[in-house]
Amino acid sequence: MNRQAYFEDLKLLARQVRAEHGLRSPRVLTSDLRRIYDQHGIVIDSWPYRLRHLRGAFISDHLGTTVMLASGLPQDPMVFTMAHELKHFFRDRDLGINFCDQSNLSKTVELGAEIFAAELIYPDQDFIKHMSRLRVGRDQCLPKTLVQLKLKTRTTLSYAGLAIKAERLGYAPPCSLTRIKTWRKFESIYGNLR
Amino acid sequence: MDLLDHLAARIRDLRINYNSGEGLSQESLAIHLKVSPNTISRWETGTYRPSVKDVERLSRFFGVSIISFFPSELVDAEEDEDLKALLRTARQLHPADLEELRKYAEFRRARGIYQGKTRPKPGRKGGKQK
Repeated sequence: MNRQAYFEDLKLLARQVRAEHGLRSPRVLTSDLRRIYDQHGIVIDSWPYRLRHLRGAFISDHLGTTVMLASGLPQDPMVFTMAHELKHFFRDRDLGINFCDQSNLSKTVELGAEIFAAELIYPDQDFIKHMSRLRVGRDQCLPKTLVQLKLKTRTTLSYAGLAIKAERLGYAPPCSLTRIKTWRKFESIYGNLR
Repeated sequence: MDLLDHLAARIRDLRINYNSGEGLSQESLAIHLKVSPNTISRWETGTYRPSVKDVERLSRFFGVSIISFFPSELVDAEEDEDLKALLRTARQLHPADLEELRKYAEFRRARGIYQGKTRPKPGRKGGKQK
């Protein structure tokens, strides 16, 4: 299987997991993921000690299948990390350990987990449907659009995740949104505009 | 010596020898761990078994491995090798995160000891041959 097919397969898996567990909106909560973890017997260890860049780690061996999560993460990054680690449960259990920080995100297995997580929270088809409702065409997505989309759908996919999706699906030119680091500022500017 | 007695003796030993033998009162340790002095006393007499999270906190306070709280006969030596192998795959992590990952892996081992989990014995794979 080539890289692209691998990623498409992970997106299909994410949609199957959504269907199986009744996730119908782009607002996936930690409680939804806890329920999925429970059903698969995955133990969550909320790690209260200081971590620099590490957000989560998945380990599966004779001691069980466990996910360490950095405690105190805000809702969106926590949901994304839990979704990311869920991919390791479904596809990478034989690797023993997977960890998630900024240093290894370019690895196919980790990139795949990011793609799985983004699709699990907000499937591409739903995103396309919502962009169509907002009458946003090719290369027309602006920061304001994503603020409106996030507030309207109440999605738990972060602005960074939405920006990647918008660019990848052709709604914005490359790097026009993903380079933005100040989404809260845009939210305060555009948040009241409907 | 069983697990409970070993834990009790280890906690007492670490407390008494804290800071190069200067020692620490049960009250002081209790304040650091945010538990009552009675709890420390009960851990040290083997009346209560500290939770694995309590043992983790104790190990951090005394600056020792959580595994050192357990009798050697309950510690699977093969898991040391597993742990080294696991951490080799995570070498690119920030050193502080790598250290936390190591502590987490040891925490899992400690919990496994508490739960009586053992490594499955190697056996024949693949079932019956056709």
